[in-house]
Order: sequence, then C-alpha cells, then structure tokens
Amino acid sequence: MRVSVDLELKDTPGQLLLALEPISKYGGNVISIIHMREEEKLRAGRVPVHFTIDVPDEASLERIINELEEQGVRVTKLGEATKKERITLLMIGHVVDTDLRDTIDRINELEGVMVSDLSLAMPHPDKESSAIVDIEVSAQVDKRKVMERIYSIAKEKNLEIVRSLEV
Amino acid sequence: MRVQIIGFGVIGQGLAEVLLRKQVELKQRYSLEVKVVSITDISGTAYAEEGLDLEKALSVARQTRAIVNYPGAKEMSGIEAIEEIDADLVVEATPSNIKTGEPGLSHMLAGFKAGKHVVTSNKGPLALKYRELVTEAARNNVEFRFEASVGGAMPVINLARETLSGDKITAIEGILNGTTNYILSRMTREGLSFEQVLKEAQELGYAETDPTYDIEGIDTASKLVILANAIMGIDATFGDVKTRGITRITPEAIRLAKERGYVIKLIGEVRNNHLEVSPRLIPETHPLNVDGALNVAMLHCDVAGEITVVGKGAGAIETQSAILSDIIAIWKKRGAVQ
Repeated sequence: MRVSVDLELKDTPGQLLLALEPISKYGGNVISIIHMREEEKLRAGRVPVHFTIDVPDEASLERIINELEEQGVRVTKLGEATKKERITLLMIGHVVDTDLRDTIDRINELEGVMVSDLSLAMPHPDKESSAIVDIEVSAQVDKRKVMERIYSIAKEKNLEIVRSLEV
Repeated sequence: MRVQIIGFGVIGQGLAEVLLRKQVELKQRYSLEVKVVSITDISGTAYAEEGLDLEKALSVARQTRAIVNYPGAKEMSGIEAIEEIDADLVVEATPSNIKTGEPGLSHMLAGFKAGKHVVTSNKGPLALKYRELVTEAARNNVEFRFEASVGGAMPVINLARETLSGDKITAIEGILNGTTNYILSRMTREGLSFEQVLKEAQELGYAETDPTYDIEGIDTASKLVILANAIMGIDATFGDVKTRGITRITPEAIRLAKERGYVIKLIGEVRNNHLEVSPRLIPETHPLNVDGALNVAMLHCDVAGEITVVGKGAGAIETQSAILSDIIAIWKKRGAVQ
C-alpha cells in the first residue's frame, strides 16, 4: 500500500537518515521525498518533509510511525489524516514573573497538548517580556478548547495573547 | 439626478471636488448628470433648485468653515433639508459616532422616509442599527448603499454582493484600519515602541489627537459588523464583537514573531457567527501581510476559494471612488426617483 507521511526534521546532518532507517527496517520503499524549506521559519527551524512510501501492510506502517516518534521525529500528517496540529502564539506581559513553569504545566495538563518550543525576549527585568510559544495539538483535540484554557491563564496573569491567524 | 450632501467635511468636500472633475465623464459614460441641490454642514444649508456652484461652495467652506456663508444659504438643519428640499438621493457624510450613531442615523432614516436613496460613508449608524436601516430603506422602496463605510476605496461590499453573487462567503478576515496598520508596520521596520510611533503618526496626521477608536480596535470592529451583516447576513451589532487593540504590542514581541516568519497585524475576523478584532500572527508570505496604511480583506468563498482585495482605506479623494460607484449603481438601477 502507498501512503504519504509528513514529518518534521531538525535542519542538521543525519536527520533524514534517522527517518529513513525505520522505513527500510520494516520493509517500506521510499517513492519520493520533498523538502518544504519555504515553511522552515514558521515551524521553529524544523524542515517539513513530505514522504511517499510503499509499505507491505498496516502493521508495518504502524511500526514505522511508532519508531519514528520514539526517535523524536514529529509525524504531522499520515495519509489524508492530520495527526498533529500546531498553535503558535505570543505572550506579552510579565511572562517570567508570573511563573512561566506553571503556565507551561497548565497547558500541558490538557490531554494531547504539549508546549514544544518557546523563545523568550526580556528587554529589562522591570519591563514586560515576550515569549513566542509553539504548542503541539493532537488532531482529535479541539483547538478552541486549548485556546480557552490559554486565555483563562492569560487573564489571570494579565498576559496579552497574540495567536496565529489559523487558530 | 438631484443630490443632497449632508456633512461637508473631508468626505463631503472630496465628493464635491470629484463631481466637478468628473462632470463630463459621468454624462458621457452613464448619461448621468449629478446636480447637487443642497449642501448642509453644522452651520446651515446652502440650496439652489438648479444646482449649487460647487467651486463656490468649496471655496466658502474652505475659507470660512461654514457653508451658511454661501450666498442665500439658511440656518437650516440636515433633517429639515432632507424633509423640505426636493431631491433623489442623499449623501450622508457626517462624522461617525459609534455611541449613538447620530446625527447620521436620523439623517438616513429621514432620507428613507422622504423617499430618497441614501449613500453613505458613515459607519456608526450601520454598526449600531444595520437591520433597522436596511428594513426602513426597503419599506420605503429606496436604495441604500454604503461601500465607503468599510475600507475607503477598497471595494469589498459591492465586490462580495454583486461580482461574487454566486458565491456564499463563509468567512472574512482583514486589516480594516489604516492607522493601526501604519503603526504596526513602522514598529516592525524600525524596531520602535508603540508610543513613539503613535506620536509620530499623530504628528504626520495619520492618527487622530484622540487615537482610541483606532488603537483599541473600535473602528475595525464597526467595519467588521457592517461586513458581517452586509456580506454574510449575520444579524450582529457593535456590542457582539470581541475587541482587543494593539496598545500592548512591544518591539520585542514583533522581533520574536519576525524571527519565526510572522508579522503582527490588527485583524478583524468573522467566522462561524463569531466576530473578533485582535492582533494576530500572520505568516510573512500571507496575502494579508500588506504594509503601510493600506487596508486588505480576504473573502473565503465557497466556489471561488479565497479572494483578496487591497486598497487605500481612507483619503478625501480615494473614498469618493466608493461613493461614486454607489451613486452610479443607483442611477443605473433606478434612474431618478419618480
């Protein structure tokens, strides 16, 4: 059976090989690989790569995906089904002083939701800081629910949230 | 066509200027002769059965700031002018008021009642009483058009309702306020703070002395309500919009976004009956990423897919493109009121 798989790879040497190994190990045959470099910036420096592979059966496909995920490769799409979506947002305010750890933990508490990247800018200890945050969300999770949680945390901590257009 | 201009500030004067410039062209292309029979401002009403001398009206208004100084003008209010003077169409161009909608709201209703078509650039009354206005216009069998109320010269209402009439519009997103777009664009390019750029914008005349309407997202919200009603048939008013402005955006936030390939824009969005104005992250490569004081709107259509229009969102002359197109559309459809 032929399937398409979207992965996100770190832009460092050896990453593609890392992704190919499980595919060949379980009898998969690569038909095409397309690097979508134009999207790299939007994905926090990871390169989305679109694979088309032939696999013997469902079971081997499942093994391939599991092993990829175990190795820390992000599988964002499998066939027609989106596996993971991303919410990118900015937090502006006293991001650190209002316990950033707690903010992240409370987002991660939601099932199928995980903060995967965070960059911080602090102009001065007294001034408001900013963080740009990537949140991975499993496809079956309602993104609006995730945003509701984030807005309620933001209200409590007086943070301004700027979310991406598609959320 | 006998036209009354109510409100003779930037927009009203711009119309007089463009009508002067386009007199011959309108006659040649559309057999349309626009006779401005009255002009009203806060001081009174200038009136001439055979049509006012627009050049004279403009020079009186510019020199004395009061149309009542036009020869033979009276201290007559807008409502009186609409009720008493014979005309086919009223151009309502008084300043927008988002709290009461007045005086524009009363002018529009008086116009309908008097059996006159109404063309307006005034968003306040529409954002507050859209349904009532449209119903009253229909009840009196007159035309009511308001392309200029959203996005100035950028054609969006008539584009959606007429050119895209076979499509259903499922969502709209856009930058509907030039001042905030100017401020955010400058902050992005120069790394300056919100306060610095706001001050600069005020000095250049891009922002009002009281910039609250713009920077708190109120102006965008009013326009969004008009789009939701006029294009998507959503019965919403100003109070239904979840509104946040741009006052908390910092240069650091913009820099972080930029490093990740995003810009920050104040976006008005209607989707699933939800109306929201808020700063959003827009991919640099996205069609909504337009710079400077421009406006942009993206229509999500069920047949055409996405359609994006970009244009000047304000300007005394540019806005007349929308007002003229409304006047011409009414002329084509109805001719003069019988």
